[in-house]
Amino acid sequence: MDRADIPHLSVTELAALIETKQVSPVEAVEAYLHRIEQLNPVVNAYVTVCAEEARRDARQAEEEIQQGRYRGPLHGVPVAIKDQIHTKGILTTDGSKLRADFVPEEDATVLANLKKAGAVLLGKLNMSEFALGDANSSASGAACNPWDLTRSPGTSSSGSGAATAAHLCATSLGEDTGGSIRGPAANCGLVGLRPTWGRVSRYGVDGACWSIDTIGPVARTVEDCAVTIGAIAGYDPQDPYTRQVPVPDYRLALTGDISGLKVGLVREFLDPDVSGVTAQTREAVIAAAEVLKSLGAQVKEVSLPLGAKSGVITRTITHTERVSLHPEWLLQRPQEYHHNTRVAFMAGNLIPAQVYYKANKLRALIRQEVLQVLNDVDVLIQPTSVGPAEVMNPQGRVGSKEQAKRALASGSFRGPYSLSGAPALSILCGFTSEGEGGLPLALQIAGRPFGEATVLRTAHAYEQATPWHERKSPI
Amino acid sequence: MVDLTNPEIQALGRAVGLDIQEPELTEVAYSLNAILEMMDEIEVPGVNAVEPLPMILPTGKV
Repeated sequence: MDRADIPHLSVTELAALIETKQVSPVEAVEAYLHRIEQLNPVVNAYVTVCAEEARRDARQAEEEIQQGRYRGPLHGVPVAIKDQIHTKGILTTDGSKLRADFVPEEDATVLANLKKAGAVLLGKLNMSEFALGDANSSASGAACNPWDLTRSPGTSSSGSGAATAAHLCATSLGEDTGGSIRGPAANCGLVGLRPTWGRVSRYGVDGACWSIDTIGPVARTVEDCAVTIGAIAGYDPQDPYTRQVPVPDYRLALTGDISGLKVGLVREFLDPDVSGVTAQTREAVIAAAEVLKSLGAQVKEVSLPLGAKSGVITRTITHTERVSLHPEWLLQRPQEYHHNTRVAFMAGNLIPAQVYYKANKLRALIRQEVLQVLNDVDVLIQPTSVGPAEVMNPQGRVGSKEQAKRALASGSFRGPYSLSGAPALSILCGFTSEGEGGLPLALQIAGRPFGEATVLRTAHAYEQATPWHERKSPI
Repeated sequence: MVDLTNPEIQALGRAVGLDIQEPELTEVAYSLNAILEMMDEIEVPGVNAVEPLPMILPTGKV
């Protein structure tokens, strides 16, 4: 196989070649490092490339496989992780100048789990500063969307989206609070899974918002997503909120059979008057519902009236909690934040306690609302975002209260699942017309807590029945 | 709901040790007023009686 073709394989395709010794982990790592060298200056997805460590780990994987000690589908596979996740001896910047020289002494549990599965770390991925929603706020500059370099790759796991879509890693990890895995997956035409809160350890991940943060995969296919979540999920004594729920082999769920599956199409997010959803996104999601029907699923409309207001509720909680993590930095070193982060943190610091408390009460009601609907259906579907990736504006400022309100409202697409703790996945479901750039559109599929297998099964059946995943980004 | 003015935002900032000046001040005012207004507009009967547990998920059917 030509080395240049290796980065265009899926994880499972590459794994099959590694297992049968047709491609060595060293060849795979070299192919990715070469591509990173060529393209990272264009997409700015990596903050740190760990070339020497990756070569060392690839050699070790190669030796193990030669000796017959094959560990599974991530063994020798080159991966990358968001720069919010601690890496022993490797810079972890959180996208901020305030963390410019922070070198953790220990790997986060999710990275330790990836390494246990034999994955090879290529490097650390760009992100918006402290996982806030603005790609431009990164101290390393904005990552770019491989489908259109002028567009946002989605936030806050901007590098996870950009690197995976540009084939600069085989699979990646992001962190999702208000939608930071699903947003980049949507903007970059990928599969991103926010797992159930408590499914994946948060130990060793710089917090954005303790009660909502989750770590999950951003991958190119549903099967790659299933392999990646399978490696990182599970109880961790270091994170007291992880649950002792057995981790299934998620790949076994990918049967293609969804006959009889009950699917709830969430009404509010298809109503432009309620959600502001664009016409092309709406049409793509309705068409996706028809595909699921044609595969034997029973689709009916359902309603999440409070969920449709979840954007501002999520933001009230996340901004208050974020500021509380390092209040001294805002007081003593405010000028070291990006302007937009500083504004967001200052506003977050002034949210009255009773408003924060009201948001938490509303969260409890949204959780109830989502779980109640999920008693009647197996999965919920809706758009991941209001529309396709927007053009980035490096000088972007909060220009009016109305603009701020629109931004808060757009967070409602992903808010119901952030607030309820239920798993939610974003998958490519079409493209805008050529006249509008041919940009990815995305379907969101949510399930019951710890029901990732059903979510993945639905996504896989949809993916295999549609041609969208076959189209590659121009980079 | 009446918007907080820039001087009121500055006074709130002083209460938590923040000296908020331009160029941030007006944007902080837009952001905070947007949050407060949208939160105020959400009216759900019985919300005051809700116990706001953060993320305790049911252990039943999964």
